[in-house]
Amino acid sequence: MYRYDEFDAALVRERIAEFSDQVDRRSSGELTEDEFKPLRLMNGVYLQLHAYMARIAVPYGVMNSRQMRQLAHVARTYDKGYGHFTTRTNIQFNWPALQDLPAILTDLAEVEMHAIQTSGNCIRNVTTDVFAGVAADEIEDPRPWGEILRQWSTIHPEFSFLPRKFKIAVIGAAKDRAAIRTPAVGRQIVRGEDGQTAIRVFVGGGQGRLPHIAQEIASAVPGRSLLAYLTAILRAYNLLGRRDNIHKARIKILVAAIGIDAFSDEVERQFAILRQEDLRIPDEELARIRAYFTPPPFQALPATSPSYDAARRLNPEFARFTRSNLRDHKQAGYGAIIVSLKPIDGVPGDITADQMEVVADLAARFSFDEVRASYEQNLVLPHVRLEDAYAVWSRLREAGLATANADLATDIIACPGLDYCSLANARSIPVAQTLSRQLADADLQEKLGPVRINISGCINACGHHHVGHIGVLGVDRKGEEYYQITVGGSPDEQAALGEIVGRSLPADEVAPAIARALDRYLEVRNDGELFIDTVRRLGADPFRTAIYEPIDAAA
Amino acid sequence: MKLLTANRLNDGRVIYLGEADAVVETIDAARPLDADTAETALAQAQSRPAIFVNPYLIEVEGRSPTGRDRLKERIRSAGPTVGHSLDFAARLEAL
Repeated sequence: MYRYDEFDAALVRERIAEFSDQVDRRSSGELTEDEFKPLRLMNGVYLQLHAYMARIAVPYGVMNSRQMRQLAHVARTYDKGYGHFTTRTNIQFNWPALQDLPAILTDLAEVEMHAIQTSGNCIRNVTTDVFAGVAADEIEDPRPWGEILRQWSTIHPEFSFLPRKFKIAVIGAAKDRAAIRTPAVGRQIVRGEDGQTAIRVFVGGGQGRLPHIAQEIASAVPGRSLLAYLTAILRAYNLLGRRDNIHKARIKILVAAIGIDAFSDEVERQFAILRQEDLRIPDEELARIRAYFTPPPFQALPATSPSYDAARRLNPEFARFTRSNLRDHKQAGYGAIIVSLKPIDGVPGDITADQMEVVADLAARFSFDEVRASYEQNLVLPHVRLEDAYAVWSRLREAGLATANADLATDIIACPGLDYCSLANARSIPVAQTLSRQLADADLQEKLGPVRINISGCINACGHHHVGHIGVLGVDRKGEEYYQITVGGSPDEQAALGEIVGRSLPADEVAPAIARALDRYLEVRNDGELFIDTVRRLGADPFRTAIYEPIDAAA
Repeated sequence: MKLLTANRLNDGRVIYLGEADAVVETIDAARPLDADTAETALAQAQSRPAIFVNPYLIEVEGRSPTGRDRLKERIRSAGPTVGHSLDFAARLEAL
């Protein structure tokens, strides 16, 4: 993985000194809250319902064991012993005190972590495929491109005060495992006509109040022109994006308002007048960064492992775990293990300090010292020998991290909701917990197969409910929590927004309603047809009927 | 009646205005304010920015939040209702 050079280290150090001074001036009253707010947001610090919240960047989701241990240290020392992983592959701490923030950032800097640009109207932490360097269908590892974007965008003077936040995701395969059509810009590595790396670019995605799926703006930008093309997009946005209305300031609104063709014309105009040689990525620099992401020293192993196969035969619980939480690796004899942060009745994405240390130990011992944070709010040990999988599972199981539910119905994505968030209208976590209890039966979950359920506590959509196969949105009806259900959303290469199926439901009716929709799927699906494919074939009507028929009958 | 609440500057925690302008951490210790005293209290809190961040008034009956934001204010007063901060949540039941 990437290691800081002297410039990175100095930049983070200087930023901490600057922020420490800002905290001191805020504490002394020299800065008002209105003056301090944009400064703290630039450093990932929010003021939520109960306390400050610190959002720490995990660039493209990649961490080593030392970093994970340091996160555990921060959780124990400055917080309440846990953290929360988000869909942007960041980690949030919910209880830090203002005066502790400089110390937290100093501790994180020791392990090359920071909170720069995890909030504010700037280019946010770049996300990517959690199976980068693992998946066999990958054209190229997207992480070096993520690192290039990180370096280029960090404290970029021209793009630190955009109309609104700007998110970028990048993938290296046709299969989209990073929801690249939901943020402002999505990038998919493709092979150019010259055989070199090229980038297919999508623009104008975004969720929230007015959700939009990103549209293709370029089919193959040469890799070395990546930064020039992105600069052109950002300049077009910076010049044309609205600043008078926060709800209409994101690039998704601009692209929708003027149309992809007009936006594309402006991007091309900007692209043509850029001094492109200044932004062209030098071959030697690309090679230098790629070198950080060379594959670890894998052993030459047979594709199968007798001990792994025997453990699967002898232990049905382990076998189930491997079916749901172990993914194929392009290196023979290895697999990638999904560490579930979705225990039944748990808080999606939460992990205790003790659990962080377990994961750190396993990463160090069994996964070339690497652990990843995923879009789905889980962790991944990317490079585990199959013959070690049983040992890894056993330890995860002891730590409560081995729920066999990756991509299944209880692998619920949820924002913190009204339990923590000052923007939320309704709670998300209790709904996720009730739903996970309702759908806890492991056999049922396997029978249902992959189903993505997303819950957001307000229209800002941090739980990505718009693109959940089933989405749940908390709304406020005269001070009471109600929940609107959508069906048919999808965050992948066939990205789509879900359709609202009807009126919102009170909290206690949500889990039974979703269970009925899933039962209906089992009745109407074709052999081998996934939930989302059944919805695409039949539309939302059968599920709408399943959700509302008994409620209407009882009314 | 109303209560005055805010987040505390140094640690972000939920605070209320108590008797004799004291800063208190529990809603039970907050000072009930009528329409006249509420506006005065709000002005005074706004003049103490080293303690009160974004002070505002909430509607209560007794010391139980009412009005449109009642659930939010109950959660603010008692802590998250679920998860790793559950020790806080038991107090929600008492409200």
